[in-house]
Order: sequence, then C-alpha cells, then structure tokens
Amino acid sequence: MHIPDGFIPLWQCLIYWIIAIIFLIMAFRWGRKNLNEKNIPLMAVLAAGIFAIMTINIPIPFGSSGHMVGAAMVAIIFMSPWAAVMIIALVLIVEGLVFGDGGITTMGANLINMGVCGGFVGYYTWKALYKPYKGSDGVVAGSGILSKWWSIGVASWLAIFLSAILAALELGWAGTFPLGLGLLFMGGYHAMIGIFEAIITVIVISSLEKIRPDLLSWNKLKRAEADNPNSDNPEVPSK
Amino acid sequence: MSAEGQLYRLERESMKESILHSLDGRVKLIVLIFIIIYAVYTTNILILALIEIYLILLILLSHLSLKSSFIKILLIIPFGGSIAILQPFVHSGTIIYSLPLGIHITSQGLIFGALLISRLIVTLTCIVLLSSLSPMQEVAESFRKLGLPRDFSMIFSLFIRFLFMFYDELQRIRNAQITRNFDIFNKKTAYMWRLRQVAYTIAMMFLRSYERGESVYLSMLSRGYSDQSRIYNAKNKEIGKNEYFFILTTLLVIICLQIFVMFLIPKTGFFNLSIL
Repeated sequence: MHIPDGFIPLWQCLIYWIIAIIFLIMAFRWGRKNLNEKNIPLMAVLAAGIFAIMTINIPIPFGSSGHMVGAAMVAIIFMSPWAAVMIIALVLIVEGLVFGDGGITTMGANLINMGVCGGFVGYYTWKALYKPYKGSDGVVAGSGILSKWWSIGVASWLAIFLSAILAALELGWAGTFPLGLGLLFMGGYHAMIGIFEAIITVIVISSLEKIRPDLLSWNKLKRAEADNPNSDNPEVPSK
Repeated sequence: MSAEGQLYRLERESMKESILHSLDGRVKLIVLIFIIIYAVYTTNILILALIEIYLILLILLSHLSLKSSFIKILLIIPFGGSIAILQPFVHSGTIIYSLPLGIHITSQGLIFGALLISRLIVTLTCIVLLSSLSPMQEVAESFRKLGLPRDFSMIFSLFIRFLFMFYDELQRIRNAQITRNFDIFNKKTAYMWRLRQVAYTIAMMFLRSYERGESVYLSMLSRGYSDQSRIYNAKNKEIGKNEYFFILTTLLVIICLQIFVMFLIPKTGFFNLSIL
C-alpha cells in the first residue's frame, strides 16, 4: 500500500503533504493533552510493533504492495484516531528514510491513506458498531449492533480496505495506472489481508484486555469504578 | 534477508568511518531529500542516469559496498517496480507490438515505465545511501534539531530504541516456539489454530516489549530524563566547511543538470528523453 517516490506528480504530493501536516498538527495537540508517562512507552512499542507488522509485504500487480497496517488497532487501544495518525507517521518516517518502503515525496499521501483513513475509519466504525457509552456509574459498555470483539474485527477490516481503495484512487488520479484495475487489485488483495488484520487485531486487543487491561483507554473509566466499592454495574465487570 | 537482520546490518554500516559518515546528520538528510525531490520533478531519463552516477560516486566515497547497496535496492524495487513493468501494457499510446488476448505494447507506456523505474532506482539509491550513512538515532536527532515537536521526537527516539528490543523479543519467542516444534507452515495442524498462535505471538511481543520498555522509560524518568533532555554525543558539532562543501557540490550538480535540460537538450536535440 506504500506509494513510492515518483509515482505521484510533485504538485499532487504537495496537496497530500499539506493535508497530512494539518492532521499531524492536530495529532500533536492531542498528544500534548493526553499522553503521560504510561502512554509514551506504549505508543513507542506500538509503533515498533506496527513497523514489524508492516514489513511483511506481498507484491501486488496493479498496486504497490499488500501488508497489514494496524492503524485501527492503535486508534481503538487509545480510543482516539489521533494516536493512529501519530504512530503511523513515525512508522512511515522510519520505513521511508531507512528501508525505502514508501517514499519521501509521497509520505503525505501514505499518511493520509494509512494513518488518517485507517485511524479514523477504524475508530469511528468501531464506535458506530459497538456504541460504547458511559453509564451513570462511570462504566463503559456497548449498546451497538455488534459485540465488542466483532465490532473491532469489522472496523479493522474496513480500515485497511478503505485505505487501499484510497491509495488506488490517488494512483489513478496521478495517471500511474488505470483506476478500475487498481481498485480491483488493491481492493481485492486488501479485502483478504483485512481478514487477517481483523483476526490479529481482535486477538491482540483481547490479550491486552486479559493481561494488561490498564493499557486500554476504555478501562480507565473502569478503574475509577473499581476504586468505588459501591459500584454494581452488571454489564462490565470491574477488575 | 529478514527485516531484523537488515536492521542490525544497516546500523553496523552507518557506524563506518568516512568523510560522508562524519557529516552532520541534518545536512545528509536535507541534501538527500533534495535529490529525491529533484528526481521526482525531472522527466528526463538521461538526467536521472546522471544523478545515479553522482550517487554511486557518493557510495564509493563513503567506503560502502556497491554490490550490497544494489542488492538492497533490488530487494526493495519489486513492490513499486511491478507498477512500472506493467506500464507498456496499460498506458495508452502508439501500439508497437500486439500480443494475443488483445494485449498491446505502447511506446508511450514503454517510456513511462522506464521513467518510473529510473526514478525508483534513483530515489532508492538515495535512501540506501542515507540509511548507510546515518544511524537511526542520528536521523531522529536530526529531525529534533530541525524543529520536530519535542514530545514527538521523544516518542520517535524511544520508538527506535524499542525497535531493536522488539526484534530481540521476537527472536526469543521464535526460539521458544522452535524448541517446541512449532512450525507455521505445518499443515498437520488446523489453519485457524496456527493463525491464533501468530496473533498470540504478536500480543506477547507487544506485552513483553511494553513491560521492558515501561521499566526502562520509568528508570530514565527517575534519572531526570524528559522531552527537554539532550543526549550527549561526542560527534555533536556545528555545521562546518565539509558540510558546506557537500551542500554546494550537490547544488552545483543539480543546477548544471537543470541547465543541461533547459538549454542544451532543446538546442542540440540530443538525448531528448523527456516525457510528460
């Protein structure tokens, strides 16, 4: 999914860079407000993990490459799409500058596809499907059409699928290859890769929930509940 | 080569000593990014070939192996190269050869494909050169010095430290799995079971790395580390005459190439390989 240098004209790259920088500034603002000594190492570890996941690439004939992204996972763990924008930006810088995966001029476009689209689609799809709400006692539960884990799976799949579609649209607009074929190949491959991404995202988040629930942002409210012995919410058990 | 092996080998190469290795990280970063932008801007294949020759000279000057540099480029090319190779078949233009099933090869597609491949080679040579000249921590420090927000550069710096730790943890987990005869490609076990093991491996890798990273980070904080901290490095120095010489030489090369494109090629008509 990483678009290499030279595949998009410079003037289009500039447009993508401007949009990406606006999102990055917003992400920095979010970081300054929300990150503490517990979140900072988590963010760095997640960036390292996503970097490792992204290195598993599959060449695609009419697209660039196929791989997992992890933006939805980050956005759901932190309960913020800005976290995904920040982490994917870090990963893209190292991938682009050290490993030549992606590009420098196309980094803006890649950040929009994977960080912005992946993070926002992943987070808001999960939110729409699970509908997490804060009860009167401060506990977060879901009232959506899907359970917590199914909603995470669907959100992860949709995030990677739409990111790939966006990359195909950008390459089509650049005139690098026909839009129809691009959509078919990029969409088709990533619809399959999305299934793996969904399964792995669900297992990773459920493992975190079991072993280190304090790392998941939605549990911060639960912790407040645990401190309160009078709480008796039946939907979400306290730790 | 695995990403892990590549990571360690790149770091070893970037520790070598040469005139280019000793340059300030910011200068290497800016100059090579500038070359990449110019390579994307130009539409002349001959100019791209001349830039590549300049980059090869820089590789030789850095005492880097030309062979291993090109092997690295060849390993990265397939991902973008697949698009370029297909251009003669998908780009509209003058048909120069027809294949069965209505597939045509066009001259415009052929030239456009060659341009994409040439750009890819030049930009990847720049990246391979940069990564072989600057350790990753130097790249992070250069970004900090160039004005990247402090909290973001702190996460960037930690991310690079954790990257190596992450791969170490992954290797430990892999070794543990091998000793228990776990094989992801073993079809005697159920596919979903194998997939679940991969996901558990990723989860364990996250958790173990996080726990180690958390304790390291808290130790750093307890010793006064903050986003305002500056790590002492014996190589920390101001931009000197070597840096200015490198910048000026590269600028001169680019300006000469642009003059060649703008004035000499249209007049002589030779080497007119411009497209678009």
